[in-house]
Amino acid sequence: MADEDETKEYRWESGYEKTWEAIKEDDDGLLESNVAELVARAKRKRAALKASGAIQLGMMRHLFVIVDSSECMFLQDLKPTRFLCVLKLLEVFVHEFFDLNPISQLGILTTKLKRSDKITVLAGNQKKHIEALQHLKDLSCEGEPSLQNSLERAMNGLKNMPAHSSREILVLFGSLTTCDPGDIQKTIKSLKDNNIRVSIIGLAAEVRICREIAKKTGGTYNVLIDDHHLKELILSQVQPPAVAGSIEASLVKMGFPGGTPTLNDGTSDSSADHAPAYCLCHIDSETSSLMGPNGYNCPQCGSRYCELPVECKQCGLTLVSAPHLARSYHHLFPIKPFVERAQVPDATHCFACAKLFVEAETNVYECENCNQIVCLDCDLFIRETLHTCPGCASDPVTAQMKTN
Amino acid sequence: MKLNVDGLLVYFPYDYIYPEQFSYMLELKRALDAKGHCLLEMPSGTGKTTTLLSLIVAYMKAHPLDLTKLVYCSRTVPEIEKVMEELRKLMTYYEKELGMEQNILGLALSSRKNLCIHPSVSKEREGKVVDGRCYSLTASFVRARHAADDAVPICEFYEGFDAHGKEFPLPPGVYNLDDLKEYGQMKRWCPYFLARHTITHANIVVYSYHYLLDPKIAEVVSKEISKTSVVVFDEAHNIDNVCIDSMSVKITKRLLDKCSNSITILETTISNMKENDSKRLEKEYKRLVEGLRDATIARETDMALVNPVLPSEVLEEAVPGTIRTAEHFVAFLKRVVEYIKTRLRVQQVVQESPAGFLRDIHTKVCIDRKPLRFTAERLASLIRTLEISDLTDFSPLVTVSHFATLVSTYTKGFTIIIEPFEDRAPTVSNPILYFSCLDSSIAIKPVFNRFQTVVITSGTLSPLDMYPKILDFHPVIMTSFTMTLARPCILPMIVSKGNDQVAMSSRYETREDTAVIRNYGNLLVEVAAAVPDGIVCFFTSYLYLETIVSSWYDQGIIDQLQRHKLLFIETQDAAETSLALINYIKACDNGRGAVLLSVARGKVSEGIDFDHHLGRAVLMFGIPYVYTQSRILRARLEYLRDQFQIRENDFLTFDAMRHAAQCLGRCMRGKTDYGIMVLADKRFSRADKRSKLPKWIQEHLKDTLCNLSTEECVQICKRWLRQMAQPFSREDQLGISLLTLEQLQSEDMQKKIQLRAQGV
Repeated sequence: MADEDETKEYRWESGYEKTWEAIKEDDDGLLESNVAELVARAKRKRAALKASGAIQLGMMRHLFVIVDSSECMFLQDLKPTRFLCVLKLLEVFVHEFFDLNPISQLGILTTKLKRSDKITVLAGNQKKHIEALQHLKDLSCEGEPSLQNSLERAMNGLKNMPAHSSREILVLFGSLTTCDPGDIQKTIKSLKDNNIRVSIIGLAAEVRICREIAKKTGGTYNVLIDDHHLKELILSQVQPPAVAGSIEASLVKMGFPGGTPTLNDGTSDSSADHAPAYCLCHIDSETSSLMGPNGYNCPQCGSRYCELPVECKQCGLTLVSAPHLARSYHHLFPIKPFVERAQVPDATHCFACAKLFVEAETNVYECENCNQIVCLDCDLFIRETLHTCPGCASDPVTAQMKTN
Repeated sequence: MKLNVDGLLVYFPYDYIYPEQFSYMLELKRALDAKGHCLLEMPSGTGKTTTLLSLIVAYMKAHPLDLTKLVYCSRTVPEIEKVMEELRKLMTYYEKELGMEQNILGLALSSRKNLCIHPSVSKEREGKVVDGRCYSLTASFVRARHAADDAVPICEFYEGFDAHGKEFPLPPGVYNLDDLKEYGQMKRWCPYFLARHTITHANIVVYSYHYLLDPKIAEVVSKEISKTSVVVFDEAHNIDNVCIDSMSVKITKRLLDKCSNSITILETTISNMKENDSKRLEKEYKRLVEGLRDATIARETDMALVNPVLPSEVLEEAVPGTIRTAEHFVAFLKRVVEYIKTRLRVQQVVQESPAGFLRDIHTKVCIDRKPLRFTAERLASLIRTLEISDLTDFSPLVTVSHFATLVSTYTKGFTIIIEPFEDRAPTVSNPILYFSCLDSSIAIKPVFNRFQTVVITSGTLSPLDMYPKILDFHPVIMTSFTMTLARPCILPMIVSKGNDQVAMSSRYETREDTAVIRNYGNLLVEVAAAVPDGIVCFFTSYLYLETIVSSWYDQGIIDQLQRHKLLFIETQDAAETSLALINYIKACDNGRGAVLLSVARGKVSEGIDFDHHLGRAVLMFGIPYVYTQSRILRARLEYLRDQFQIRENDFLTFDAMRHAAQCLGRCMRGKTDYGIMVLADKRFSRADKRSKLPKWIQEHLKDTLCNLSTEECVQICKRWLRQMAQPFSREDQLGISLLTLEQLQSEDMQKKIQLRAQGV
């Protein structure tokens, strides 16, 4: 249980717990099996939550993150302060977000002094956002926040986005009050009309208006318990949500910039593509330098970028690499949750890690497709990281079927 | 679902049941079996009403001869409507399950004001005016006059009811006020009289307390309810005050002036009548000689509820000769009124017993006790004879006549207090005569004596043993139920000191202390910063509220508070308060958050629910003791001590704590709700106060939550609020605080319920 203790706040901060009451003896008067079961159950529960049926997912996401930077964000119930803690977690979030949703865009707003400020516009470059977040740390938190102002602002940015994309707002709300210029119900209504989903993470307590906004727009509303819970909540927003209602499916034009010059095997890349050029992402900053032959050129206009995915500044084409697309693929075809097996024949191995199952092993899972058996740890690993079943992948028949 | 409650088949209209509802049914069934009275406390929001209704209806169906009628008394019209809704749900369930119409008639009764469908009368806003105008259209002499002369207006709906309605009983079903009106419109019958007529044969009657407790109204409305009925008083934590109010009279100088006017009108009418129609007066005289025999007959057959205003001796005797003729009676009335007027001309407070008053009135104006006793009856008879159709102007005179009858009838349990001025404005002369009832058992005694089972129930009845004492009855069952909860959804805390360790208390000696006031202010500001949406604060009195708010203003606390939430204040003006309430709700709804400062015992503390986000926290600043300098209260305390051996302090604490509990209960309206309850006074942590809180609050008030400082309190709040904000679904409750039929029948749960029943 040592690793569990780490995930909590300091002992002197947490409440008084009767840990001994959670532990019960089994029939033989032993405790161990019980403890193991408790741990396993907690792990499995989290994984099960994520596994949902395949629905149409909004793969191309446009997300505005609204960060409350009102007075109450200086409170120290999250260490070192709420604001710094949230910014730090947001950096992680931005990184993960683009990792898992390479063809999506993100923007950041803050709200304080009853107003709303734009920090970054909707863009697909994670570096820029992370930089902006780092700059935010020096800003002061003051005044009251305004939910309505910031939602309106985010809505203005989102409503012109293409209809096939998923429009989302994520609010990190520390305050228990909002100071609005008008009727927030109207804002909620137009958010709904524009198909914008608002998810809110509260940092202090349940505020009714937040719950209402989230409920009416189809988002989620959660309140944290401690900073680890907050991290979990923020990261749960990384998964693309199921599409609410019917969004028309449409084709999106994308560019796949060519590979490195060493592999120049007579494809369309001309030698000019690999001439040194300025990287367009950094062309505004003073430290910009001439790039070598490395980099990615837009197949439409030839501008050079140091990193993918990115939206071409010149022609507006979305530039991705094939692995990026493949990464978001698993959202569309999540592997089926494995079935828990009550009993296993003696001397069976875990298919993934080759661990030998001892007699009393209870947490054993079976893939419904290939009937291979894995242990709990592998099950979690497959579900959270791998996203493919090793059994199915190694079986040439099923693997073939999947790609077809 | 169908339940088996101790051998009785109960149809319960929901799929799930709370364990405490089942225990409640068990206890109630026991009381019904024993044909005795009972006292049951169960927290609000646990479905008391539907539990009561489903058990009693099932009992009526199973034992149709032992239990014929349910009389459900509630406090306000919205509460009556809620009861009717629950009853309708129950009856629909019965019909669905049994597949046929149920032969049960339930109806609600309210005043004419709420039931009138006469096109012009129903437009009136004031209840008294509606009553008066109705009387002027439906009194027997008016109708007789109409028969002679078509120009005299009558009410067509009453005529319709009178002609046909009495023969055709209302078909079985559930009728709330609107249904009655609709039915009346359809048949062109007066719904009010229809409802009153139907009371005698309806199975379930829902109406306000006053129809049973106020002797003046009970006489008219409830006297024919059969003995084998069960009477339920819901929200009955204030029942003793209702009893006392219904027997007390307050006479001011203005009222007496109006009386003089009415007497002049009487005089002129009498002289007119003498010239035109002296026969009628003679007839009345003869009737009076024969005495009030009709009333006696009714009483002997045990049909009528004994009316405490009209003691039985009065009925047996003839009306005394001195007031038999109309002129003599008017002169008599005049003397009484003049006498009271002279009594009001006092410089200092006078307190005397009814006996002393009678002796004084005898020596000063030669009025005996006996004629005084008949005043109320005699006046009613005179008004009938004189065919005065507009009764509205006579209400002051009727009040005085009631006073005269009461003062000469009861020598015990009452006191007369004459105050030359109000305590708040000692310079303004405003003499008032209080004829105050000290014994709450007088009004309710006939109810207890007559009906086989009387159920007194509320969310806050603790301490239970006080009620049998002050109401003077012997309950067979006396139980307090707690709430079974899947999560700790109330957080009661006793905050006794500020961050500077200065004790917080509303004690008289320290209440003006700026340190105490500042600490109260800081507590509110910090709680307001930590708690979302709505916060309701209760102060001990309007006066205290005003002084505190003004010093908070000077100390800058109001400014700090307004950074977090908007501020609303309850005042004594009802219109102003309801406006404040509307805006309070608005502020809570749109996320700005609001604080409502109100007063324990005020309008807000009694009738208004702050469920969910409207009341995330309740703060009680100080212990809401009643104003102890009041002479009426002192007289009552003395009486309680002498008659019932209740110590003054016990009663005061009891009264204060039940009001505190009422205030705290405002924020909890059901199991999915959650709320913080802060008791900000050092004295709450003493055992005698703490133990008087209802059990369902005490259970959560652990020792670690007593005697906190402001900062500790806020820390606990924050952590608790985060826990409460975590998703909570019905599945989490199932099996613990919410049961399906199978779960209820499981042995485990039955054992638990048994245990709980024994524990109390």
